Amino acid sequence: MKLRLYVVDGAPNSVLAIANLAALCKKNLRLSFKLEIIDVLKFPRRALADGVLVTPHLAKLSPAPVARIVGNLSDSGSVRLALGITT
Amino acid sequence: MQAGEVDAVIDAAHGNVFLLAGAKRALSEAGGEPANGLLAALPGRDYLRLLGEFELVALASGQVLYQPGERIGHVYFPNDAVVSLMVVLELKALQVGLVGPEGMVGVPLALGAERASVRAMVQGAGMALRMKAASFREQLEHCIALQRELQRYAYVTLLQARQTAGCSLFHQVEERLAYWLLMAHDRMRAGSQKITHELLADMLGVRRVGVTNAAGNLQRRGLIKYHRGDVRVLDRKGLEAAACSCYRTVKALTG
Repeated sequence: MKLRLYVVDGAPNSVLAIANLAALCKKNLRLSFKLEIIDVLKFPRRALADGVLVTPHLAKLSPAPVARIVGNLSDSGSVRLALGITT
Repeated sequence: MQAGEVDAVIDAAHGNVFLLAGAKRALSEAGGEPANGLLAALPGRDYLRLLGEFELVALASGQVLYQPGERIGHVYFPNDAVVSLMVVLELKALQVGLVGPEGMVGVPLALGAERASVRAMVQGAGMALRMKAASFREQLEHCIALQRELQRYAYVTLLQARQTAGCSLFHQVEERLAYWLLMAHDRMRAGSQKITHELLADMLGVRRVGVTNAAGNLQRRGLIKYHRGDVRVLDRKGLEAAACSCYRTVKALTG
């Protein structure tokens, strides 16, 4: 699964989003995750080009369908649903 | 998603990043040293108060922040952007100052004027903290340390402009080019800078052919590499020797 997480490095919700996503990945080790984290303060144009308007913002790029989740990812049920993790 | 789960909002029109209150507080408490020299010189308490009024913006190369005569809408404290200040006379321009992480764009506001007297154009892309003019005036009124820093900095910009007046009249294009390349090099963190021929000509107030010759000479002497608008300083000491005395004078007077 190819994921991209847009954050503000050091900001509370971004720190939470990274921690929540890391926990989710650990719990689902049988899935293979490829995660890229982008700090929008360093790369604002990149975020804009990717259509990101708020952070934290998680984009599931593959497999299809593409999904986007905004927020600190603390609602693990919704995150699993959006990422298509059924077990 | 619950309310309060977001750190920042990005303005789709310009790519500016607006930090929400919680993120702003966390980042300021993290104690990161301000990247801008004027802000770094302020007592921590003053800096934190100002931080609430700032927004972080990405400045693109060639972006014009003000034109002469325009009302100043914002002041800019560059983190790593470099902004060129130019006098514009009958469609011709001449660079009279350069603002990088050591300074602020919008000094007239600190001196009680509301309109820009020069064109402020981004020469080196990067980030800056900006504040609305009205907020800036209010903050300045209450912050003695900022007043003091900006008085000193206004004097630095005055010196630069005076030196440029003499330099433009008495010094050769090649040594003036070396002077401004050094000034830009001091302010840029990247190893090379993107400067088009047009911008170089505007900086020096000469025609493009004059710039081509001067840049060619500096390149032949092994001091810079200039390729497709990308200028890299190869021999810093050599470039200092090639520059007119203005570089040393400005450095000595401004510290």
